[in-house]
Parts: sequence; C-alpha cells; structure tokens
Amino acid sequence: MTLPARDPGHIARAVSPAFESLFRAEYARVVGIAHRVLADQAEAEDVAQDVFISFYRGHPADAPYARAWLHSAAAHAALNAVRGRDRRSRREAAVAVTPDTTATEADPAETVAASETREEVRAVLARMPERSAAMLALRYAGLSYAEIAAALDVRASSVGTLLRRAEDAFRRELR
Amino acid sequence: MNDTKIEQALGTTEPRVNADEALARFQARVQAEGIAPVVALARPRVTSRWLQGLAAAAGVVIVASALTLSGVAESVLKIFEPKSVVAVPLTQSDLNYLGQACAGLNLQECMGAYGTFVWTTAPQPKEVSSRSQASAQAGFNALAPSSLPSSVIGDPRYGVINRSTATFTFSADSTKQAAARVNRTAPPLPANIDGSKLLITGGPAVVQIWGAPAGAPASRGQAEAIPTLIVGQAKAPTVSSDGVTVDELRSYLLSQPGISPQLAAAIRAIGDPSSTLPVPVPAELAISHPVTVQGVQGLFVGDNTGIASAVIWQKDGMMFEVIGSFTESQALAIANSMR
Repeated sequence: MTLPARDPGHIARAVSPAFESLFRAEYARVVGIAHRVLADQAEAEDVAQDVFISFYRGHPADAPYARAWLHSAAAHAALNAVRGRDRRSRREAAVAVTPDTTATEADPAETVAASETREEVRAVLARMPERSAAMLALRYAGLSYAEIAAALDVRASSVGTLLRRAEDAFRRELR
Repeated sequence: MNDTKIEQALGTTEPRVNADEALARFQARVQAEGIAPVVALARPRVTSRWLQGLAAAAGVVIVASALTLSGVAESVLKIFEPKSVVAVPLTQSDLNYLGQACAGLNLQECMGAYGTFVWTTAPQPKEVSSRSQASAQAGFNALAPSSLPSSVIGDPRYGVINRSTATFTFSADSTKQAAARVNRTAPPLPANIDGSKLLITGGPAVVQIWGAPAGAPASRGQAEAIPTLIVGQAKAPTVSSDGVTVDELRSYLLSQPGISPQLAAAIRAIGDPSSTLPVPVPAELAISHPVTVQGVQGLFVGDNTGIASAVIWQKDGMMFEVIGSFTESQALAIANSMR
C-alpha cells in the first residue's frame, strides 16, 4: 500500500486528536466485526473506512455513543456488503481464495469445502433478519453483552435471549 | 449444531490490522474528497437558492415514512416529486424508530420532531365530475389508462389537489425534545441548520379512483370504500432552502440514532439526491425493482403477499402513480396504457 506523505500539519487539519484517538482505539474492533461477516480482510477494511467516514461526517469524536455507533454500523454495513456481494461474481471468486481460510495447507477438496461452507454462512447471515444477523456478528466478534446492548439499542438483560433466538435461526437456516 | 460449531461457522482468523496505515488512508480520503467533520460553529448563510426535486433524500425518507405510518403517505409523494424514483429499503428497526417518533401524530406534529412545519397554502382536495374538469383545474392534461383489467369496473371518481406550499424551520430544541421523548440522544443539530428554512411547493395533482363509492371521503373506515385502482399525477415539486445544503441536511438526518447504517448506505448510494425520490419500502414486507414504463425508468413496488402493488415513474416534469391489487404485469399494462 502506498501511503500519503505524513505531514503533521495536514493531519492536524484533517482529523482532530479526539477523532484520531477514537480511530486508533476502535479500528481493529470495527474491522473485526465486518470481517466476521465478510471473511475478507480487504473488504472488511473498506467497510471500516466507510463506517469511520460516516461517523466523521455526522458525529463529534467525543460523542458518548461513538463506540456503540461504530460497532452497530460495522455490522450493518458488512451485512449490506455481503448482500450486495451476491451480485458480484468477481468478489465471490476472490473470497474463494481468501488467505483467511484455515485450510490453506489442507488438501484441495477440504479447501473447497471450507470455502463453500463459508459462503453458505455468509448467505445465511444475509438472509436472516437484520438484527439477528448483526447480533451474531457482534457476539462472535467478541463483544460483551453490554456492548451488544449498546450497539443494537436493546436492553442488556435481553441480549442473552435475543442471542439464543438468533443462534436458533442461524442453525435452522444453515440446515 | 452446537455453539462450538456456530463458532466455527462464524469464525474467521482475526485480521491483523495496521491502524497507522488505516488512519493515513482515512486522512488521505478525507482530504482528497474534501470531507468535513460535523461542526457546531455557525457559518454565514449562503444565498437563497432553489433545489430541484428533493431538499434531502434522507429527509424525505424520514418524513415519508413517518407519514406512511400516520396514514397520509400519499401527501408525501405529492409533495416531493422527482425526476426519477428509487427504492430505499427500510428495516424493521428504522420503522420502529419512525413509529416511536411519529405514530399517531399528524403531519405537523411528526415533522415537529425536527422543527416547525407550517402550511402556507394547505392542500385542499376536492372532487370534480370529469377528467376534463380535473385537467382544467389542475392546469395540465390529466392522463388516464386506456386499458384496464377486468377486475376494475365502473367509472372513476376524480379529485384535484391545489398547488400547496409549506415552510419547515429546523429547531435544535425540537430535535432534542423529540429524541428525549423516545429515550434517545440526538446528535447535536449543526448550528447552520438550526433555524434554517425549507420552502416546499407541491402539486397541483389529479387523482383518479376506481372502485370507491361516491361519498367515500365522508365514509372513512368503511371497508367497502377501498378502491381497486388509484391513478395519481402531479407536477414535480420544488424545495428551496435559505441556507442549508442538500449534503449538509442529508448528513445530519442520516446521523440520527434511529437510522440504520443499511438505510443510510442505501440513501448515500443515490446518485443525485436533489432530483431523486427515494420511495420507502419496508424491507421485510415489500419487494421493489426498477421497471421501464412509458419509455422511462420507474419503480415497481409490491408486498410479499401480492395483495397490493404500485408503479411509480416520472416523465416530462410530472410524477405518476398506479396503485392497486394487481400483478406486476397488470400494473405495468395499466401504466403503459396511460394516454
């Protein structure tokens, strides 16, 4: 990746210290949430950039809801992207050879099977109700119940129940 | 499938990211695209200018959706009429938010969530006896379908809605209070939006209704008053602003806490928000896709049950709607037979 010149003056004008701090603190988490849905790091990082741009346009960096907003946006934007990806065969081909596969060193049949499973999982997430799919993405990206509650604007006491329902729906959809 | 298997199914290797590189990329994009952060400082008002079509796509979706929920959606389509139409899927969470904000409220009360809405010339629908009379009062030639399905019988009734104007004034206080009513915290209204005005004109419009008995307006609530076919035609609206720009307004409205990123992304994907009407379509309940009608691109909207469908299009400065219980091909045939 070619980086732009690191001119501190420009950086100071482009992004406030508060936003820079928020970006550094949350970037990995935002990418992680998107990656849980997309299984494609480059695409997850593109989604993360869009999410931060949206936040930057409309919200102060020190907003108390900043983290929750970013987490929620990451999940929804990734789900939106994975839905659109169905129409993009090129992307699908790229995913089939994604370096994220754990079967890189495995035999070709296992690699294909793993890739097909992964694609099916993404398709299931795309078909599921938005909140359930987002809940799974957030939970399996490692967010706590409290963080999920804040991101999806539900009561923390309801997260366990909602998560179980989402997992049940996921199981049914995945056969 | 147990939890471990779900973990495996949803599991991916945790990505290793370089936040410094990512931040540099972000900063480069911000500079290259001239993206400005949200600001709270007052800026000089720009000179008054007219914005063709919609003042803000997001604003229309919010207002249109709210009005849909409060039962006066038709008014919105007649207020905001664009050069083209595009479907915007609304998720259940969007609808829930809008429902909380506007359920049971009338137009003024609902828009009061963001400021003060005042009709300067209110729409006053009235019934006339013929299409030629409707055309004369509206000031344009009202088109009618030349071919109808066998399910549509009898003569239509004709309604004319006068050219209407309204003013909407944004208010930071109203926004804050509306958010508080639904236990939310709204992002601060940028100072240059607070107090700014939108001047909206819509219509005139002609509505032709088949299947609704005479006197239907006075018999609201009667099941038999449900029409079998509604054909609407209206002049495209204009919306003026005394300061706030389309992009500023859109950015702020899309930053509302109840708006899903999915909806925001769909609205941001609209090429020209100043001339495109986003038609709100409940994602879980309706399908929509572009169609060619009368030689231009329009939009088909149907619910998943097949009970209701609509074709919406814009041509020659006029907005058209065909609504009824039809299949897609029937609805398109009606639309294409308009002469």
